[in-house]
Amino acid sequence: MRKKGRGMATIMFGFGYGEGFPDHSIAEIEITTDQKIKLRTAGADVGQGFLTTMVQIAAEVLKIDSSYIEIVGQDTHQAKNSGSTSATRQTFFSGNAVREAAEEVMGMIYHHGSIYFNSNYPELTVKDGEIYACDNKNGKISYWELAEIVKQKGDNLQAEASFFPETYAPDEKSGQSEKNYVAYTFMTQVIDIEVDIDTGIIEVMNVYTALDVGKAINPQNVHGQIEGGTVQGLGMALMEEQVMEKGITINPDMTNYLVPSIQDIPEFESTLIENEDSDGPFGAKGIGEPTLIAACPAVANAVYDAIGIRITSLPITPEIILNSLEENNN
Amino acid sequence: MTKRYVGKNTLKIDAESKVTGQAQYPSDLKFDNCLHIKIKRATYPHAILKDLDISGAKKIDGVVDIITAKDFPDLNTFGLIIKDQEVLIKIGEKMKFMGDALAIVIAETEEIALKARNKIRVEIEKLEVITDPLRAIEKDAPAIHEDFSGLCTDYLEPNLNQKNILADHYLKKGDVKKGFREADLIVENEYRTQHIDQLPLQNESGYALYDDKKDEIKIWAASQWLHDTQADVAQSINMSKEKIRIIQTAIGGAFGKKEDVSVHIHLALAALHTKRPVKLVYTREESMIAQSKRHPLIIKAKTGVSSNGYLTAWSVEVIGDTGAYASSGPAVVHKGMYHCTGPYNVENIEGTSYAVYTNNTYGGAMRGFGTTQMAFAYESQMDILAHELNIDPAQFRYQNAYITGSVTPNGQKLGKSVNTKRTIESVIDLAKWEGEINK
Repeated sequence: MRKKGRGMATIMFGFGYGEGFPDHSIAEIEITTDQKIKLRTAGADVGQGFLTTMVQIAAEVLKIDSSYIEIVGQDTHQAKNSGSTSATRQTFFSGNAVREAAEEVMGMIYHHGSIYFNSNYPELTVKDGEIYACDNKNGKISYWELAEIVKQKGDNLQAEASFFPETYAPDEKSGQSEKNYVAYTFMTQVIDIEVDIDTGIIEVMNVYTALDVGKAINPQNVHGQIEGGTVQGLGMALMEEQVMEKGITINPDMTNYLVPSIQDIPEFESTLIENEDSDGPFGAKGIGEPTLIAACPAVANAVYDAIGIRITSLPITPEIILNSLEENNN
Repeated sequence: MTKRYVGKNTLKIDAESKVTGQAQYPSDLKFDNCLHIKIKRATYPHAILKDLDISGAKKIDGVVDIITAKDFPDLNTFGLIIKDQEVLIKIGEKMKFMGDALAIVIAETEEIALKARNKIRVEIEKLEVITDPLRAIEKDAPAIHEDFSGLCTDYLEPNLNQKNILADHYLKKGDVKKGFREADLIVENEYRTQHIDQLPLQNESGYALYDDKKDEIKIWAASQWLHDTQADVAQSINMSKEKIRIIQTAIGGAFGKKEDVSVHIHLALAALHTKRPVKLVYTREESMIAQSKRHPLIIKAKTGVSSNGYLTAWSVEVIGDTGAYASSGPAVVHKGMYHCTGPYNVENIEGTSYAVYTNNTYGGAMRGFGTTQMAFAYESQMDILAHELNIDPAQFRYQNAYITGSVTPNGQKLGKSVNTKRTIESVIDLAKWEGEINK
């Protein structure tokens, strides 16, 4: 027999290294004469879409199609530090550095463009990689043509920026700190499950998520994080455990270490809350880690709702369910 | 204002290269004249290395060399936050978990390297294996590390094992005794979480090449932080950072596991030693045993609430199993504690956390970094309290939730972008939650 249960969890996550630990990202943008915009970052894209996010931010500021933007510098000798791809920090940290570098370059485009058109700044329009005088009398020039002109003057359309916000180390005795993390992300999730009380197997049916993302630079990738993060959390809730006996792992393989497979994936419905109210680029906040965090308690709370049993250790395996049911009956 | 690129579902820039197989993961790189590496690892989780006999292994045809600690006597220890991890265990010193490296076997093929690795004979003197952090903190438990971590505070209780505690942290806000006195209901529970592997599909792997003209080592391997890995490699083998060049490859998932050094230093030594391209690819088994885990936490949580459903006090004690080495451990366990109340207003808070050495595979970074484990505790507590008080769990969360101006357990006043209540409102609409919220 299957019993239905529903559980809720609300979580928060302070992102960036915080705690007074120096934390910064450097990025560089250069408009080259060969019709490219080079975006230099050493930041690691672990598959979540970090570099795509950086390209979108640069394209937005530079008012040009993202296809012109080329990532360079994935090499210690080709780029400066971008910090780690961890701590849910890259969209906020590298995103702000990219945005600032792009704004610097935009400032140069206006500076050199206004010299070329012999105009003042408000009389210029910049769009799709081209610069016009508003009265349109003197035609237009492309970014690449401007880059060539600037190059002949011995300069270039290139800027580097560093985003380096401060946090403060917490007091040793009390943990108190005026600014412990740069910002916090919040999320609430409701998870519906069905518990088979004969086998102890839990099937996750539906996951409902509301994520306080600030601004989704790429909504599809945010949904990807919600789904991927939650499924990784469901693995922790229901099946994953590296079992060490006397220091020796007895399941160091994917036959005996269970992770969710495609058959374990529930239905997802999600809402992104976009108040554009954080200090990140376009108001964005980090979401990589938060998306995993609610799954374990939401499932545990759903188990209680389904069968009235409170499980306080993970993972909640079928054996644990059956043993708990048996204890309850006795 | 309307945006043209931000807020749009732009195709991932690496989508095409990945679906067409063009993306270059380390194993896709090709080098002529390349040698293959296998690592001989610890044979027991806690033991003194008495002898290492590589003579039989070296005689196998196709074995180029076998590097042991003797060949590089000046290596420094490495690690993300403190440097407590040996590159190679020396004779007379201790192996502290099953992932510790004893020898680097270099051969013409992977098969030969494997065969030679199996021929290495290891003599050890076994020590007490400590797998339970509660045992490790006892005064009479043998010290896993000879030296103090240097991270502990003056507030560490003297009756605890000072050497096996990597780091201790504390929270004190308001008056927790008063808060519990004011509570109409107090709920206290212990929560336990497990060892988890981040399990990225791509195992640790890479190539290295020594350029003798530039006296530079190039390493092609995935890293979540190129410049930090570079620094860790450089300091451990006594070369300048400028001589260690790390080139990112396509990364097949990480989730925290690719923050620590894995193949990098062993590759660098083998490249230096042989002056030929070298390749090292971990098996899944090796990756699970030798690289970081999610810290199992033992969390005692005590929560006080008034009869009308407002939190009055919260205290936690957290013990984290950080395994044999520090890695990110000095930062993980207390980050969990700092999130002990979740996004809820509580004036009176007290907390203690210990990151504790054991002989298990070391704990490091994994998505959530301690706060994932802690959320299991605080959100279970919230649910239990709601049921005991007979208040809708959504309403109970809502009426305690952070708003702009709320103060975290660290005393940080939240000035902006605090949309906790909006997430609850939105999700109860989305899920058609039974019961309404009183705003």
